[in-house]
Amino acid sequence: MSATAAAPAAVAAPMGEVALRIEVRGGRSVAARQFHQGALRVLRPHYLDESGQVCYVVVNPGGAYLGSDLYVIDVEVAAGAKLLLTTQSATKVYRTPGSFAEQRMRLRLGEGAQLELAPDQLIAYREASYRQNTHIIMHPTSSLVMSEVITPGWSPDGAAFRYEELRLRTEIHVGSAGRGGLLALDNLLIRPPEHDVTGLGFMEGFSHLGSLIVVDGRVDQELADELHALTDGHDACTGVSLTASVHGISGLVLRSLSNSTDELKRLLGACSALLRQRWYGTAPLDLRKY
Amino acid sequence: MPNTATSPAPYQLALQQLCDSALPTGAFAHSLGFESYIERGLVHDEASFGVWLSAFVGQQLTYSDALAIRFLYEDVSVAELDALLTAQLLPRQLREASTKMGTRLLEIGAEIFPSPDLTGYRELVGSGRAAGHQPLAFAVVARSLGVPLPEALAAYLFAAVTSLTQNAVRAIPLGQNAGQRLLRQAASDVTAAVARAGSLDLSDFGAVSPGLEISQMRHERQRARMFMS
Repeated sequence: MSATAAAPAAVAAPMGEVALRIEVRGGRSVAARQFHQGALRVLRPHYLDESGQVCYVVVNPGGAYLGSDLYVIDVEVAAGAKLLLTTQSATKVYRTPGSFAEQRMRLRLGEGAQLELAPDQLIAYREASYRQNTHIIMHPTSSLVMSEVITPGWSPDGAAFRYEELRLRTEIHVGSAGRGGLLALDNLLIRPPEHDVTGLGFMEGFSHLGSLIVVDGRVDQELADELHALTDGHDACTGVSLTASVHGISGLVLRSLSNSTDELKRLLGACSALLRQRWYGTAPLDLRKY
Repeated sequence: MPNTATSPAPYQLALQQLCDSALPTGAFAHSLGFESYIERGLVHDEASFGVWLSAFVGQQLTYSDALAIRFLYEDVSVAELDALLTAQLLPRQLREASTKMGTRLLEIGAEIFPSPDLTGYRELVGSGRAAGHQPLAFAVVARSLGVPLPEALAAYLFAAVTSLTQNAVRAIPLGQNAGQRLLRQAASDVTAAVARAGSLDLSDFGAVSPGLEISQMRHERQRARMFMS
């Protein structure tokens, strides 16, 4: 038994697969290796500013995850490289009768590497069951900012929360491969039929969940307090806390419940803008400008 | 089994002492998040505290504490489980509550229930290689006393429920009889949690719903508070 054991695979052969290795060439981050097959691919890379950070957009031309689908994303950001990874549109999980759709993501960040992960929201529809397993290994000098919004999809009777089960499990290790220490194990489980998920302790009467995880040598209590203050003006119930530290590095986890995708996007966007401006010297993300 | 009408199980009284709410681990100082619900007006009486308690037993206590105890009984290394708990208890105050009470339990255990396994865990904590979490400190002692797993789980969970209820009686406040009614009602949640903990696997470890976790995080910034978590 090991800390890195993942949930059982949905199926053996992935429905779609993307692999990227980002390196620095001539002051800019570029893909030194790129692979895709099946129902996942990436758009031509672009640069949002002069920082050298490359932006890749993952596309699922099929438009949805269905039962027993397995999607695999494998990304390495090599020393000094900077990547912004996003999606072209929301990830939609439809009915998965008797099984589940799964996304498996492996991320490796080298020395001084920088990764911003900002996918569109995950929408789980009626009778959808979904597992997302994310495994991250970070060099202690690298920087990670990942955000996520989860929303219930439409169901014919108009009621929210008719999905079966959502599991989003993220492991973050700090160190080098094989010698990493486990910094954070974020294991979100939302399973509506079993309990009154809308109630106290579960979704608290809200329908949407936003999550932000930041791991960087510059994370401290002051930053956590500052981000919490930033969320105060939003129509959402938010908590922020520091993780334990590994190799002197701490992480920060922010979670927010709301009834609106847009409100959560604004809240997470405000946090991301503060970090981008302060740490990376870049402008707030505007992914809809192209 | 020697457990007849004339002789209790050899671990019986030790287990009762270990789970007594008078055991000085500092449990009186922790709400493990329910004080945030009191501040927001969502927990304000016997019934609303009962809803929170049921959610807490079914989630946090089942997927973190009970699973950690079960895995320790199944010979997973205490160092590995300790690291998993430290990584999984994302709200800072919850993590600190676990290690504060765990460290006290390790000290008390060393005085009254010494064992080689307990010495081993204390050495890991003393040298900074482990944090010393409450469910693991309990599990190491209970296992060394020969307490069977289902009894250890039920006793641990019910002890946690008892301190939380006593804290709620003081904080909300509730009457003493209301506290006893809550405990009786929580017994079925504890029984269900013991059964569920037996059917989960490592990928389930630490699974939480967002509500409890956000409230535990929000407690850090609550102005007036009686509890450390």
